[in-house]
Amino acid sequence: MTLPAAQHTEGKKNVTFRVFRFNPQVDSKPYFDDYTIPVERGITVLRSLNYIKEHIDGSVSFRAFCQAGICGSCSMRVNGLSQLACTTQVWDVLAKSREPGIIKVEPLRNLPLIKDLIVDMDPLVGKMVHYSNWIDSTMPEAKMGIKEFLISEEEFLRYDKATDCILCASCVSECSILRANKEYVSPAVLLKSYRMSVDSRDSMHEQRLAELVKDHGVWDCTHCYRCQESCVKSIPIMDAIHGLREDAIESRGKHDTSGSKHAEAFMTDIEKKGKLIEATLPIRTNGVVWTLQNLLPMAMKMIMKRRTPPPPPLVKSVKGIKIFRTMFREMTEHVKQDQKSHKK
Amino acid sequence: MKPFDIVIVGGGGAGLYAAMEAMKTNPALNIAVLSKVYPNRSHTSAAQGGANAALGNKAKDDTVEMHIFDTIKGSDYLADQDAVDVLCSEAPKIIRELENMGTPWSRLEDSTIAQRPFGGAGRPRCCYCSDKTGHTILQTLYEQCLRKGVLFFNEYFALNLSVSGSCSNGLIAMNMKSGKVEAFPAKTVIFATGGYAKMYWNRSSNAAGNTGDGQAIAYRAGIPMKDMEFVQFHPTGLRKSGLLVTEGARGEGGYLLNKDGERFMARYAPEKMELGPRDLVSRSLETEILQGRGFDSPAGKYLHLDLTHLGADLIKSRLPQIREMSMNFEGVDPIEEPIPVRPTAHYSMGGIDTDNQTRTVMGGVYAAGECGCVSVHGANRLGGNSLLDILVFGRIAGRTAAEEAGRFTPGTISEAELHAQLQEVRGGMQSAGRYERYGELREELGQTLALNVGIFRESSLLQKGIEDIAELKERFKKVRIFDTSDVFNTNLMQVLELKNMLDLAETVAAGAFAREESRGSHTRIDFPVRDDAKWHKHTLTTLVNGKVTLGEKPVTMGRYELQERTY
Repeated sequence: MTLPAAQHTEGKKNVTFRVFRFNPQVDSKPYFDDYTIPVERGITVLRSLNYIKEHIDGSVSFRAFCQAGICGSCSMRVNGLSQLACTTQVWDVLAKSREPGIIKVEPLRNLPLIKDLIVDMDPLVGKMVHYSNWIDSTMPEAKMGIKEFLISEEEFLRYDKATDCILCASCVSECSILRANKEYVSPAVLLKSYRMSVDSRDSMHEQRLAELVKDHGVWDCTHCYRCQESCVKSIPIMDAIHGLREDAIESRGKHDTSGSKHAEAFMTDIEKKGKLIEATLPIRTNGVVWTLQNLLPMAMKMIMKRRTPPPPPLVKSVKGIKIFRTMFREMTEHVKQDQKSHKK
Repeated sequence: MKPFDIVIVGGGGAGLYAAMEAMKTNPALNIAVLSKVYPNRSHTSAAQGGANAALGNKAKDDTVEMHIFDTIKGSDYLADQDAVDVLCSEAPKIIRELENMGTPWSRLEDSTIAQRPFGGAGRPRCCYCSDKTGHTILQTLYEQCLRKGVLFFNEYFALNLSVSGSCSNGLIAMNMKSGKVEAFPAKTVIFATGGYAKMYWNRSSNAAGNTGDGQAIAYRAGIPMKDMEFVQFHPTGLRKSGLLVTEGARGEGGYLLNKDGERFMARYAPEKMELGPRDLVSRSLETEILQGRGFDSPAGKYLHLDLTHLGADLIKSRLPQIREMSMNFEGVDPIEEPIPVRPTAHYSMGGIDTDNQTRTVMGGVYAAGECGCVSVHGANRLGGNSLLDILVFGRIAGRTAAEEAGRFTPGTISEAELHAQLQEVRGGMQSAGRYERYGELREELGQTLALNVGIFRESSLLQKGIEDIAELKERFKKVRIFDTSDVFNTNLMQVLELKNMLDLAETVAAGAFAREESRGSHTRIDFPVRDDAKWHKHTLTTLVNGKVTLGEKPVTMGRYELQERTY
């Protein structure tokens, strides 16, 4: 569908929006519809979609509410990247578009599709509930409203940025773990969990953490940083995830779960050799029994293909290991002191 | 479905507080919250500036009494003084309650909740969390509701009250995900659906969904609306989109400048300058523009909000959202250049007529927040009082409904009624003789309202506005719904929202036409002064036999006598 007046005046460009379409009532599989409209500088993707809906095809379905980047309704994938349609400038996207003049608009990934650009947010809400993403106040309900907690600016700053989260689920859509495992806690919920955990008013730190260290929890993140890169509010989500992990090791010990054991094994290897001793890593993380049960077939295949990592005695230390160790210990000391001063 | 004790329509600040308080009042009750969006999307999240409470953290000599007086004066003496008493006396308690529940307030050096100056307030009493106060309050309330296991029906669009006699049987709503029309039989219904200022469409700071659904439903059920003509224009909307730049920007020291670089507020409010009350500042901007001292642009005339002298650090730490919005929607970095602004429809003082306990005239029906009109804002709301309003009266609504639910028997909603509703709703999907586009009607409604029922009003303009609305209502009968599917039909929803706006626009224009005086946000060029002898009263608009019918209600006075309002 193309508008008749195909004009290329200055300040206006004809842009084709390639919109993902799926109506579960009639479509057996999704397809794309092209809508070409003139767009001037300063127009957002959402305004373009509104224009298409009002003037060309009323059946194009998407969510939108505040139109000011604060409610989080209109998150979708624009040219492959999850973001808010209302704060995304069409011309900015065009400048980076692989196919000139074409903007592809698709629903978020990793959440069940409802229709066109609309996905189901219920799984995310379910996880917020599962991981107690709330403050369970140390103040009994009957005493609320009488006195303020005194909270330092320093403590406020610890969670200030995390409270910017508008639950738009862009990070959920970009998360590489969720693509493989829909049960994974998801970045937004980890961020919110962190925000609650560092709040001194909260009383359920231990319980929340106990849930987070289980399977599908905080240790499943692979540090791909996609959540942080795509965050529409530029929240350092990975800092929150690291914060939760440090918290878990500190308050639950190094041998708590396979996650913490894995992290611990990394630290030991790096300090000792300056690199990983991969052959024994699974054993140290998950124990002998688990490794034999789960990794033996893969180990056999690796032997067949001669891809096995060298046995521990053959792993040589990296060059300059002595200087590295000094630096490593110094850094570890710094981190410990930082954590101590944070606690105060 | 099993009848509910309480059905709350709307999941913003008022609705969520009502749900929590109702559960606390009587944990045995069967409560549901219906929302047309996920509750955390509600428009409460857009409130940037903060909530007023005389905590005395910043100014030690601040008192509840001063807050009361500021609010009454700000309302141009149209607020009910007993209601304002409740609002301001409850304020410190409810802000602390939120704090105790986990709201991340910004802090002062002594670790208490931070407060800043706001328009029309004698002391810095606006509690805030940088410029995301509403967002953090809404998050806190949503989190607490999840913690308590509140039953949510998300993405349900409320259609109508089912009424028998003078009582309601409950609510009829459409499940957006399935398109099914469902019955919610209930002993009590609380409307907390927010405001109706989006009827000004492109000249509004509101979310697309602030279409006055709750008010329109109540209005169609015969419940009177109160003071609908009072619509607040916020002085500083972004030029292109109407989106809001918080009053906090001026609270932090921002200047308003005309094209001559003059701080023109010196002419209108020499003492308070940029921090005068909203109605006055909006009129000042509009006057500057009308008298040719505004900037010109294809997107319309505008003025400058200058923050450049505040410095990068302050802007980044205290007004980060404003900076982001200016850059996203105007391409202007406020650290470098002034922000282009003009007044934008922002808040509806009017709403469903309620008493101080949020009761409407219909048994078992309550309303709270921007949706209701107690009235605490009168003819003009002070900045920082709307978040407070939704919290205080949301809580009262929850408590009152919980206490009174036992008095009402749940009605039944018949299959026939549901079927009729479904037929009516989907009528627009028939193609025969239907050609009007809802987008155009919506746009025209906004235009005529901004032009004829806007900041400056006059008898002939208002007459034109009334005629335009009537014509739009006629054309609406021929509106076409292009999406014929059941699943998540946003086309259908937007048409239903337009219907609500059209119904309410009639009451706004009728009230404005009748009120022959200037008071607060309502400025009549042909009646430029406040006329207490004739008009110191609330306007009621009721739907009788399909027609807007005007009525009135006295203003409850108290300790404060009528005075001239100067700043």
